[in-house]
Amino acid sequence: MGTFIQLVIDGLSTGSVYAALALAIVLVHSATGLINFAQGGMAVLAAYFAWYLTNQGVPLIVAILLSIVFSFALGAVVERWLMRRFERGDPDTAVVVTIGLLTLITGIAGWLWTYNNQQFPSLFPLDTVSFLGVSVSIRSIGTTVVIVVAMVLLQALFVGTKLGLALRAVAINPQSAAFSGLPVGRLLMVGWGLAAVLGAVAGALVAPQLTLTPGMLDNALVYALAAVILGGLTSPVGVVVAAWIIGILENLAAVYVPFIGHDLKIAVPFILLFVVLIVRPQGLFGRKTVVRV
Amino acid sequence: MASASSLSTSSRSAAAPAAAAPSFRQRRWVRMAAPLVLALVLAVLPLVLPEFANETIARIGVFAVAVLGLNVVMGYTGQVSLGQIFFLGVGAYVTAYGVQNDWNIVLVFVLACLIPAVAGLIVALAAARLGGLAIAMVTVALPIVGVPLAKRLSEFTGGSQGLSARFADNPEWTGLYDDQWQLYIVLVIGGIVFLLTRYLVRGKYGRAFAIVKGNENVASSMGISPYRYKVLAFTIASLIGGVSGFLYMLVVQYTSPETMSFGHSIELLAAMVIGGAGSIVGSILGGAWYVLVPQLTNAVDASLTALLQGAVLLLVLFVLPGGLASLPRALTRGRRRSGADRGVGAPPTTPSSTAGSGTAAEGSERERQGPA
Repeated sequence: MGTFIQLVIDGLSTGSVYAALALAIVLVHSATGLINFAQGGMAVLAAYFAWYLTNQGVPLIVAILLSIVFSFALGAVVERWLMRRFERGDPDTAVVVTIGLLTLITGIAGWLWTYNNQQFPSLFPLDTVSFLGVSVSIRSIGTTVVIVVAMVLLQALFVGTKLGLALRAVAINPQSAAFSGLPVGRLLMVGWGLAAVLGAVAGALVAPQLTLTPGMLDNALVYALAAVILGGLTSPVGVVVAAWIIGILENLAAVYVPFIGHDLKIAVPFILLFVVLIVRPQGLFGRKTVVRV
Repeated sequence: MASASSLSTSSRSAAAPAAAAPSFRQRRWVRMAAPLVLALVLAVLPLVLPEFANETIARIGVFAVAVLGLNVVMGYTGQVSLGQIFFLGVGAYVTAYGVQNDWNIVLVFVLACLIPAVAGLIVALAAARLGGLAIAMVTVALPIVGVPLAKRLSEFTGGSQGLSARFADNPEWTGLYDDQWQLYIVLVIGGIVFLLTRYLVRGKYGRAFAIVKGNENVASSMGISPYRYKVLAFTIASLIGGVSGFLYMLVVQYTSPETMSFGHSIELLAAMVIGGAGSIVGSILGGAWYVLVPQLTNAVDASLTALLQGAVLLLVLFVLPGGLASLPRALTRGRRRSGADRGVGAPPTTPSSTAGSGTAAEGSERERQGPA
């Protein structure tokens, strides 16, 4: 039983990382109607930025905060100077653009800092605490808590502030938003920046575990996309829940299903995905979109 | 809106000649003779080229077939697929396993086509259920799941060690060298695949694909099920991927889980877009890009390869959305436009022969300008 609870909590923490990435993808999708395959790559670049700063003697927490500012700017710049041209066009072309961006970012990171694994210092101690007879790693709890706090803050921003209202207006109907005097372009930049920040938080938290490489979040991207499909593109809550389910299930499957093991656990969300797509193609929580011809 | 049509430029391929004398490419004898000349050149070339060039051309042929498969689902049907390399890998593994167990080579070839096609069919049946970008989001998992899966199924795949298999050794009576014989096989099989695909995309199915790409709602209102045609296109793409896997095994004679890594998957997609989406010639250019550019960049600086790939891909999407295959047309269009500025001649009007796909694409663009 002890192992089981430990696995669930570890799964919750990796699930939170997928959730952050998935939420960033949903955020971008609701604002601009496209899937950003470079979301993980941008987070990796932010993590490298933080890693570089810590190597220059900057304290870790400051480095991470600076990397968050950096990734906000990165997201905004990418939106304005790269994606803007493709946003109202064919979504498939825009997807290819983000794939190009992913290649470019991976290339830049690999060129600047090599493709070797780098040690990223952990924000939390690696100890475990005993809780009701179960030992749980502090890192897992810390990762989960930080990401949940980030998501709650984001939700508060969207629901409780004027900026959030404007962002939602742009996401729902850019034309009407523009007619009512909102600076649509700048708000889209903010939306992309916020998504990149969410990714950067996830990247900084998961980097100590995965060790820093340019392709560090490629697998996490697949998990996040699976969570996005499972939860439904239209439902942020559903996406987060789906990401947690995936994180927990894959951890359990890795230990309790001998054939899957640790190397094949990435197949778990994929199998789950197949079942859900056949049975309920709009996702667990999504609603069917109806398009008028 | 010019950028919006980026991946669909092929539908405007007939826009070039205006009225007067038929252009060089349209003259009857040119149209008749060009394929013959091409076939003759391809038949003679392997005999005169050095071994290294033959091997490189054979590798280009392998990946041109893979890119062609990707083009069927992505360029012609408009469904982004990141899984094409997986089907190449499956085809290669099936071939290697069959050859190691001394199966009949024809049977091996058929299996190397069928098994990836069935795998693709199953993936597409699930992925195409969810409209829009779901195919991209699901297929990105294929190479990422495929690599550990190949390592796990080590009794069939040889694990991380991979499999090597040598077959189609040059028979005695031909008097050819191995590299020449292999290149001939690649040219024949690849040529047949290219011809069949060309007929496919220019015929009834190709028109259906183009409408699905242009506007799914229009397609279903015309009695064309977008779901069914997406599944069909994806299955054909997987089958062609399997053929390229067979050819890969023929030329490279070795495969490992690395063959179908995520990085290669992205490179293949980049090669397709850079070569020219929705273009037969573009597929060949894409294959050449896939093989030659890493060789060039490795010669300069290996760590720059990914950076250059990404930068060129973005550059192409910005300035030449039709890929390298559209370069001649873009150049002539530029010249004609500067001519029109001086008051000579008129810019080309609507495309003539591919009216169906053209209007579909335009319809979708117009619709997207309305509130989403």
